[in-house]
Amino acid sequence: MSTQGDVPGSFRDPSGFLFWRGGEIYRQVNNTYRENYDQLMNSGLYKALTDAHLLIAHEEVAIAHPEPDRAYRIIRPEMIPFVSYPYEWSFSQLKAAALVTLEIQKKALEFDMSLKDSSAYNIQFADGKALLIDTLSFEKYRQGQPWVAYGQFCRHFLAPLSLMSYRDIRLSSLLRIHIDGIPVDLADALLPFRSRFRFSLLAHIHLHAKSQKVFARRTVKKSVHRMSRFSLLGIINSLESAVKKLKWRPAGTEWADYYDQMNYTRAALDHKKQLVAEFIDRVNPKSVWDLGANDGLFSRLASDRGIQTISFDIDPAAVEKNYLEAVQKGEKKILPLLLDLANPSPGIGWENEERQSLIERGPVDMAMALALIHHLAISNNVPFARIANFLSRICNWLIIEFIPKPDSKVQLLLASREDIFTGYTQNDFEKDFAEYFTITSSIKISGSERTLYLMRKRGV
Amino acid sequence: MMHLIVYSAAAQQILNILPLMAHHRFCAYIDPGTGSFIIQIAIAAFVGCSFAIKIFWSRIKTFFINLFCKKGKTPEK
Repeated sequence: MSTQGDVPGSFRDPSGFLFWRGGEIYRQVNNTYRENYDQLMNSGLYKALTDAHLLIAHEEVAIAHPEPDRAYRIIRPEMIPFVSYPYEWSFSQLKAAALVTLEIQKKALEFDMSLKDSSAYNIQFADGKALLIDTLSFEKYRQGQPWVAYGQFCRHFLAPLSLMSYRDIRLSSLLRIHIDGIPVDLADALLPFRSRFRFSLLAHIHLHAKSQKVFARRTVKKSVHRMSRFSLLGIINSLESAVKKLKWRPAGTEWADYYDQMNYTRAALDHKKQLVAEFIDRVNPKSVWDLGANDGLFSRLASDRGIQTISFDIDPAAVEKNYLEAVQKGEKKILPLLLDLANPSPGIGWENEERQSLIERGPVDMAMALALIHHLAISNNVPFARIANFLSRICNWLIIEFIPKPDSKVQLLLASREDIFTGYTQNDFEKDFAEYFTITSSIKISGSERTLYLMRKRGV
Repeated sequence: MMHLIVYSAAAQQILNILPLMAHHRFCAYIDPGTGSFIIQIAIAAFVGCSFAIKIFWSRIKTFFINLFCKKGKTPEK
């Protein structure tokens, strides 16, 4: 079996696999999946789902099969601009992905098909909408069969959403540890007692965990237990209602109202926006990562110009606010994501390769690091040289703001710690960054002590 | 309060059903998939009924809405 060029995250599925060729991504459909693929394409389900932007569109292509003995078709799916993972999504993004999965399952049943897996990793965000990217997720619906992806849906969506809603928003990070979703018994143990008063959570999480315990070492004859189509629709309806009822409202977090309380005057903020816009226009990048984007004020300077922009922040409230704004405005070019730059998403899964690290998903044309350097250098004790090295690995162009020590925000960070940061000067900053970047512009932001730089990675 | 009573009764019924669905043959490995399968069947028995009632009522409602709408319409000349 060949593995060269295969996408590491797609090897588990016997129906087919993804592979790269000439900078494009393809999917081999295996002979074993032939009947299901034909039904998807010929029943009208593919058209219904792609017309509704619920499933990624593809075209069949005639190129050499990587595994000819097993191949039925080769398809070329549309490219996703940036692959993100459930542990990088805000509450409403995970909720949107869950509801899209259930909507697809309902639509599939209308065409006598059913989703055979409901992994959150099969959902991606493109053009501001969540959609299914795994074309081989469908199988023929057999009368009487329950939903085979039910347990996976509970682990990938219902367990994390209920934990985020009922216990703590930061528990979405459990998805990073448990690659096949949060085990139901773990959610059962972590959820507060009051969650049992909601029937959907009582049934799909708490009793589900109990059932897993009861049947852990027992076998059942599955063919004996059949489920009518009506009951199956009842399950889907129940899961949908469970997900819709889960809410999370960010309240009084540190960053969500940052722009209302930061120490910029209106004129300084306008000047900073004007400079960032000028730098973007000068480089004209195809893609931008805004690191520490808060609610995306500066990210939108790029995305409003039609540039594919990822708006990263460490604060779940800021990402949630950013995402809801993007949804409300129908923005297609901005994708807010949760990211701790001091501990960015690692490569996880089999051979650390199934889900890519942040660095592996770069480099991006341009990164923006606005009002960020003091958090990395002072709060996280990362030397300038290491910050410059990291940034040079993820981008070709950089817009970065230097915030000097007398700035009130830096003083706030130093208030409760000893000032051991003798090297935190603008000269040291420029000297260390010059090792990795060529500084093409540096302009002081009027009405402040801060300086905005445009830098180009050396050797690009 | 009524909801709580209904929920408790439904949960108790589901718990009662669970052991009846098992063959007491022990396996060497723990399989959480069997528990997921069984609970789905058990929940489906309840939500299937409520889903049927919901659909039934919505059809009745639609029937009457259509009936009154038709009555309210003046015939076109």
